[in-house]
Amino acid sequence: MPESPVLKVSDLKVTFATRQGPLRAVDGLSFEVAPKEVVGIVGESGSGKSVSMYSMLGLVRDANVTITGSVEFQGREILGLSDKEMQPIRGGEIGMIFQDPMTALTPVYTVGWQIVEQLRTHTTMTKAQARERAIELLSEVGIPDPRKRIDHYPHEFSGGMRQRVVIAMALSCNPKLLIADEPTTALDVTTQAQILDLMVKLQDSYNSSIVIITHDMGVIAEMAHRVVVMYAGRPAEVGPEIDVVRNPRHPYTWGLLGAVPRIESRNDRLATIPGNAVSPLDIPEGCAFADRCEYRMDICTKRPQLKGANDHLDACWLSDEQRVAIRTKASS
Amino acid sequence: MSNEILLKATDVVKTFSTRSKKFGRPHLATAVNGVSLEIRRGETLGIVGESGCGKSTLARCLVQLLPTTSGSVVFEGVEISKLSRRALRPLRRKMQLVFQDPYASLNPRRTVGDIVAEPLRINKFGTEVVIQERVRELFRTVGLDVNSLTRYPHEFSGGQRQRIGIARALALNPSLVVADEPVSALDVSVQAQVLNLMADLQDKFNLTYLFIAHDLGVVRHVSDRVGVMYLGEIVELGDADELYDRPMHPYTEALLSVVPELNDTDAPRRERIILKGDVPDPADRPSGCSFHPRCPVATDKCKEVKPALVEIRPGRSVACHYPKNAG
Repeated sequence: MPESPVLKVSDLKVTFATRQGPLRAVDGLSFEVAPKEVVGIVGESGSGKSVSMYSMLGLVRDANVTITGSVEFQGREILGLSDKEMQPIRGGEIGMIFQDPMTALTPVYTVGWQIVEQLRTHTTMTKAQARERAIELLSEVGIPDPRKRIDHYPHEFSGGMRQRVVIAMALSCNPKLLIADEPTTALDVTTQAQILDLMVKLQDSYNSSIVIITHDMGVIAEMAHRVVVMYAGRPAEVGPEIDVVRNPRHPYTWGLLGAVPRIESRNDRLATIPGNAVSPLDIPEGCAFADRCEYRMDICTKRPQLKGANDHLDACWLSDEQRVAIRTKASS
Repeated sequence: MSNEILLKATDVVKTFSTRSKKFGRPHLATAVNGVSLEIRRGETLGIVGESGCGKSTLARCLVQLLPTTSGSVVFEGVEISKLSRRALRPLRRKMQLVFQDPYASLNPRRTVGDIVAEPLRINKFGTEVVIQERVRELFRTVGLDVNSLTRYPHEFSGGQRQRIGIARALALNPSLVVADEPVSALDVSVQAQVLNLMADLQDKFNLTYLFIAHDLGVVRHVSDRVGVMYLGEIVELGDADELYDRPMHPYTEALLSVVPELNDTDAPRRERIILKGDVPDPADRPSGCSFHPRCPVATDKCKEVKPALVEIRPGRSVACHYPKNAG
């Protein structure tokens, strides 16, 4: 990559000490986000996708948590910074969009008050300037009549409109990086389309990088340039979106893509992944997916490392020939 | 699938009374606004729509969990919308429900064996020995371990809990199973397991499903016929493949166009039709066609004249003045 990455995560591990023993929520996650790149992190519930983002930003404050590894933001290590040092970064240089727009906004203040507060914290604007900027932001995210709506409370907005307000807040300080945690999961499909469309447009005009966390492969395919598929807190497959979706390499990704019911055509049966997601309390020493994997081999008791050609990597012991054979058989 | 009609709804209306913002004045929200449909024995009728479109309310009205405001519902030849609770009781066992939230729909203080046995006990299925045998049989049918009968719901994963909910619904050999968003709380790999199970059970017991979901992919996958709801009305109804491949109503077309695509083939990307604005308040319906304020092809006629759901060709109905793909 020619430019240095905006975000570089190396071997991030997040472990909670619980009465039942160590709970490994994130277990060796590494990825990079280049300038203006959209990276999608996809996985099922409990795969550690949200917790990895929150721990990066110092938002996991449990006394029983151990976070190791390295998170470099614009070349600077941010893991382990104090709250005071993090403050200009969070909300300023890194914007955040959460899943549920109702809990991301406080119900007791107007949306204008909340955007102005953020602007005043991170910039030297006067109150009047901040209010003008807030109105501008609301109109950019497509809220009709922003001059009037700025004095409304969150409950007076619909779900989609609230998510627009959250996006306006996230963008208010021209962040270098936007972290969006399931930004459209709580929304209907027509509203989801509006919001995804808006995010693409704004990313263009603000030149931010985006990390989008989702369980929906469709959203990834629409938005992301590169994908990280997570399973049990570990990356199973990493690569350019088009390669991962069209030529998935990891058996978990095969299962995940095969299980999605499609609107284009109808199959009699969906592919399934047998069993349930592994509990983060007892992730096996070897491959975390081995217990549910059809192609399990003896070597799978050893943990596979992410490897591969170019920038399409996966953590699986299957050889290239074995994969080709399996995929040809599956598609015939 | 036979042509026998199991359930026929005619002009079903359900209104809820709410309070308007102006202090104290009662206000009527029409959640279901004159829905007519038929469910044939052995088929799966999918109802799809966005949140607040009235699909769950419609389902509850069809099985009389909610009294209808007006209209008629005929189930197995009996008009059920005017029956008393007592008269309805013997029919209830033939109409069972599977709910969305597998966490909220199972009583946390009872063992799962008890939960599945309850409908059998209420309906005096037989002696306790017979009931226990039936429960074990049901557990095997839905793929659960019979040794887990004495465990509690919290000991099961979401997918297993949904299997328990399905076992309970099947206990009395219902003819109609209403599944209200049965897989939307599940992860995609588990969702596929439950959908496959529901398909197997349908074949095995000749079940009829009314399947409600907001996920268009799921609905296409399971349904023989699909009804699309918008603001309490069915705007389009037809054979699933037909409706998905050649939508007639502009709302259906827009809805299908914006489903995120996996893009794993060389086929060109769908052109996306992004609707403006939000779904209107059901207490304050637009004049004419309910969809006209958001419709890309609306004309003056749409603002004034409400289009009826008309059958364009056999088995294919649409409520639009300017239907597409109608020729």
